[in-house]
Amino acid sequence: MEEAENVSANSPHDGTGNPAAPASRTPGPADAESADTAPAETAAPGTGATETAPATTDTRNTGPGRLLIAVYAIFAISATARAGYQILTKFSEAPLAYLLSAFAAAVYVVATVSLAKPGRTAFKVSVAAVLVELVGVLVVGALSVFDSVNFPHETVWSLFGRGYGFIPLLLPILGLIWLYRRRPARRDH
Amino acid sequence: MDAYFYIILVVGLLSSIICVVAGLLKKAPNDTTILSVAAVELALLVYLGGSIVRVASGERIAGESWEFWGYLATALILPIGAVYWSILERTRWSNFVLAAVGVTALVMAARMNQIWY
Repeated sequence: MEEAENVSANSPHDGTGNPAAPASRTPGPADAESADTAPAETAAPGTGATETAPATTDTRNTGPGRLLIAVYAIFAISATARAGYQILTKFSEAPLAYLLSAFAAAVYVVATVSLAKPGRTAFKVSVAAVLVELVGVLVVGALSVFDSVNFPHETVWSLFGRGYGFIPLLLPILGLIWLYRRRPARRDH
Repeated sequence: MDAYFYIILVVGLLSSIICVVAGLLKKAPNDTTILSVAAVELALLVYLGGSIVRVASGERIAGESWEFWGYLATALILPIGAVYWSILERTRWSNFVLAAVGVTALVMAARMNQIWY
């Protein structure tokens, strides 16, 4: 596993016939094709390791990851704008809800940036941010359902993100699946 | 909901459908998908132009005007950002990124309509 980390530019899945492959940068395009067909990261540690381990280190921001980052970016922008607006204009109405909005916005920003950055630290930050997001949407969603008197004001996470087509609920789940599939190779010391 | 919203509704949905289909067909972003996103941008520019004319001719925005312009400005940036992001890596996934533009523009146009009236 150790040496495998150093060959990340080695495009692992060239045989998949992606028409876009010649057009762009190093490992991304070829792998995007295979990403939804479950690369054998876990299945064959012996044979598959040298091929797939590089893909697990630095490729969270290619293929489906780009879509994930784009959606996170949209949420980061809209949540930040909305929280900013709420806090600037009507903070006193519901400080808790609006602080929660701001917190959610911050989580989306951190998730977006860390998903886009390569490396182990960014990976850990992504996992933390996405987990916080998942807990947030579940807790706030549940509170807004069961205690609607104290949580009457809208946040991104209210009612499990119903105001946003439940994407806030779906996003962390997809995010965790993606992060798991592109987790960095284990360091064996 | 006014004509501007319906224009963006039609153009945005068409663009998203085109991009999703292209993505499902495993195509990289091409002229068709990028031009469809450009059409969304154009529709938003029409909204911008129309709104400026309406405000200039004395019409009042019912909600917060800076919120309206904020939405519009953000919506105008989205297609450009998405196209840039999709050109950096030309895979079918970038078509799904492009597909997000139409739907997002649609939601934002609905919100802008709410603010205006």
